[in-house]
Amino acid sequence: MIRNIVRAALLSSALLGTAVGGALAQEHVVWWDFLGGGDGIRMKKLIDDFNAAHAGKIDIQATTLDWGVPFYTKVQTSAAVGEGPDVMTYHASRIPLAVSQNTLSEITADDMKIMGLSADSFAPAPWSAVNVDGKQYAVPFDTHPIVLYYNKDKLAAAGLIGADGLPTGLDGRDNFREALKKLQAGGTKYGISTVTADGSFSFRTIYSYLCQQGGDIGVDGAWLPGDSPAKLANAVQVIADWVADGTNPAYTDYPATVALFTSGDSAMMINGVWEVPTMTDLKAQGKLFDWGAIELPVLFDKPCTYSDSHSFAIPNNVGKPATPEKHAAVLEVIKFMEENSLFWATAGHIPANKAVTDSAEYKAMQPQATYAKLAANMIYDPKSVNAGVASPLFDAAGNAFTAAINGEVDATTAVTEMKAALDAL
Amino acid sequence: MLKSKRNEALVAAVLVAPFVAIYGWMFVYPTIQMVILSLQKAPLIVSAEGQSSFVGLDNYMRLFKDPIFYTSIKNTAYFLLLTVIPGTAMALAIALMVTRLKGWGQSLILSMFFLPYVLPITVVYLIWDWMMNFQFGIAQHLIAFFTGKPVNVWRAIPWFMPMVALITIWWTNGFSILLFLAALRNIPKEVYEAAQLDGATRWQLFWRVTFPLIWPVTVLCLTIQLILQMKIFDQVYLFSQGGRTQVTMVMVQYIFESAFIKNDGGYAATVAVAMFVVVIAFSVLNFQALRAGGSR
Amino acid sequence: MTAAVETTMAAGVPRRAGFVDLGAVLLTILTIIVACIWFFPVFWALSTSLKTDQEAIADGINILPSNPTFNNYLYVIQHSDLPIWYLNSTITSVGITFLVVFMSACAGYAISQLRFPGRMALWWTILASFMIPGTALIVNHFIIIAGVKLLNTHLGVILPLLVAPVTVIVYKQFFDGIPRDFREAAVMDGANEFQLLFRVYLPMNWGITTALAIITFIGAWNNFLWPFLAIQNEKMMTVTVGITQVQDTFGVAYARVIAGAVMAGLPVAIAYLLFQRRVTQAITLSAGIKG
Repeated sequence: MIRNIVRAALLSSALLGTAVGGALAQEHVVWWDFLGGGDGIRMKKLIDDFNAAHAGKIDIQATTLDWGVPFYTKVQTSAAVGEGPDVMTYHASRIPLAVSQNTLSEITADDMKIMGLSADSFAPAPWSAVNVDGKQYAVPFDTHPIVLYYNKDKLAAAGLIGADGLPTGLDGRDNFREALKKLQAGGTKYGISTVTADGSFSFRTIYSYLCQQGGDIGVDGAWLPGDSPAKLANAVQVIADWVADGTNPAYTDYPATVALFTSGDSAMMINGVWEVPTMTDLKAQGKLFDWGAIELPVLFDKPCTYSDSHSFAIPNNVGKPATPEKHAAVLEVIKFMEENSLFWATAGHIPANKAVTDSAEYKAMQPQATYAKLAANMIYDPKSVNAGVASPLFDAAGNAFTAAINGEVDATTAVTEMKAALDAL
Repeated sequence: MLKSKRNEALVAAVLVAPFVAIYGWMFVYPTIQMVILSLQKAPLIVSAEGQSSFVGLDNYMRLFKDPIFYTSIKNTAYFLLLTVIPGTAMALAIALMVTRLKGWGQSLILSMFFLPYVLPITVVYLIWDWMMNFQFGIAQHLIAFFTGKPVNVWRAIPWFMPMVALITIWWTNGFSILLFLAALRNIPKEVYEAAQLDGATRWQLFWRVTFPLIWPVTVLCLTIQLILQMKIFDQVYLFSQGGRTQVTMVMVQYIFESAFIKNDGGYAATVAVAMFVVVIAFSVLNFQALRAGGSR
Repeated sequence: MTAAVETTMAAGVPRRAGFVDLGAVLLTILTIIVACIWFFPVFWALSTSLKTDQEAIADGINILPSNPTFNNYLYVIQHSDLPIWYLNSTITSVGITFLVVFMSACAGYAISQLRFPGRMALWWTILASFMIPGTALIVNHFIIIAGVKLLNTHLGVILPLLVAPVTVIVYKQFFDGIPRDFREAAVMDGANEFQLLFRVYLPMNWGITTALAIITFIGAWNNFLWPFLAIQNEKMMTVTVGITQVQDTFGVAYARVIAGAVMAGLPVAIAYLLFQRRVTQAITLSAGIKG
């Protein structure tokens, strides 16, 4: 009897599946992404728009998985057994690693032609990141640096807003540190909120400061060359100082840092551009103060900001290659997304598509226009199989820096530990 | 009669066949395969030629020098220290309290203690993650009362293991409580009567009468908890997600990480074999020690 | 024996005979307090699930929701895949329960009642498998299941979880305890072994089968690690895995997440509350054999 019930349940779930899916001739595209932040809402809209425009023909079934290690682990194992999705978002920094693990399918010149794209469509940096050994493995979508979000009212009260309405007096390591104390003295709980619970996230800021000193993370076989270890320790110490001063909360997770900023408990926040929509939406609902976002202040010698890139990739599903119809549908999806990357810009990201970034509409967007100039000073992960999101470099940063930022160990020890971990790779 | 004997064997074969098939395929075969895999350098899933090769004891050599492996053993041991004896003691204390109650009162109180045991670990994780939430968790009021400010217990390393241990005890205690209850019920009234007539106090009664009589069950609980908690993975994985996993790594987690994150199938099998050996050695030692101690 | 002493004995701990035993009363109150503290996390989860998101994160301590609402539950049911996960969990848990109980009853019966070559060897293997940590085999389970293309399927989730030596042992001991007279009488009547097992032995105590079935069901429902590894596709996830693996793109909504957790734990909680006796019995049985 139980067997009958089980059989009935299986049958009904199968029927349910087809009924939900719509007409049998429809092509279902399984989509995995990790976009759970403010930009995730924008992406959901894009997916809904696509499904509406292609109703009855192509249907995207999207799943948002946990960002980082869980996402990439799932992709890796499922692709290896042929159970991966049909298309996914993928960080460009991780593409060398993915290619070495046979996880991605090549994107051919024909594919690009069908989508109406070519190397010239994209800015040089993201384009170079998706190519390994002369073959293309993903289609660039955006570049996303980290920026400094600030509460205009609080900064103005502390005398940190200049005549042009933008923050001033924040350049220089000691200046910035003092500014944080001043902001806190003005009655704010924290001068700044950054992610201190996860060294691999703070690594973006630390990496920026390393680059600002002219330091270099290095590459396989030659990590942290020259005096870069000392410069890296400096960079780590910057954040450790803020935590020690009490102007930056210790052991704070990502959602908490955003909440602290939006509630006014912290005057500034260092986070990725993808939280711009969160701020925009809250402001539109009248729930947010006057805010802005600028390029990271230069605390050392030259401007430099860490950046990574989102791209669309097609997994290499071993043993279950995509049918021509499926492949065509996936290209349709990517083409649509690329054509709508102006809308994606409202998610805060800088579109990789040159036509979009050159357009008047994009140049008029705020606060994008304010921080757009940082594009000239961006630094990326080294192109290595050990770098990128959820990579050995990422791991090593998480393990070494969380302790240092929160004062458990000193910065130099952490850097030594990190270098040792990297050299062992 | 002779025909009956062969018949019996045949019938038995049919009856045990499904079980033996599953056992062989899902237990014996993987164990053998695991040992073989530990002698190879291979990714988790071999999807192309030349991806795996025989390397003999290289993986084991690497294991002996691996600091993360030793960290995982240390953390597992620390976790055992925090859960096995405290948990069993807690269960005994609760059982002693519950056994005094009667009827539906006892049923109700017992369910309140036991319910966590039937919940999935992910539900336990979500409940406690919410309670300890750095910004909004209700337990932070309690923590702030003692330490002056909220603590992110999942990221502040000294807090992590004790918290996970506390939650594990909360989650699994029901099992031991039931066993103790059954044991306490089995103590004949006459024993208490006799001791009471001799003028024993409550305290003396517990240590001189109750405790020795439930010692076998205490041993049982300790043993079961020991073997159970050695295999811990779920709680540590879930609570350390998004933070630094290396410092709080436990044995099964290292197997998982080597195989599914680092994609190093051969090495993961090596760690698994090592874990096998550690657990079996521990179990045997435990058995002997308690058997020797129990016979007094 | 006076009434006072008699109640003393019932409580298991002695005290001086008197009208009001302060110690006993205090102890009972303490028990209730400890039980309430112990239960608090579950209560708090229920309370949070009935609050709005704003109330859940509001400052201060609000023990009860000011305006209890089922909106969170409705949202989870309508906007997430939880109903599908329920189905998956049900299919896999019922499958595992049925197969484990069936196979274990057969095997336990054979080992107990029949003589066949390899009987003792099989018995010792089963006993030995206690000490062996099944979780160490996840790597090879994954490789094997992937090899037969059963990843992401219900069967793939079910197979490794069918290794349940405890159930066999409990059945064997149960069958051992049945007097041989029954067997001899039935054989005299011409019954074969299968009839003996299903018409005579098992029916003698359906309670044990029920107990084992319930505890197996609960264990299968709650299993995290293997389904987590074996399932790549959100639509095939069990509810235990799904509630932690899928991100809500509408930001962090604590009350909703907790509502999802409550729903995930509800079936097994109900199973326990309805079948408390059986669960207790199953636990004492399975512990008994480890002693």
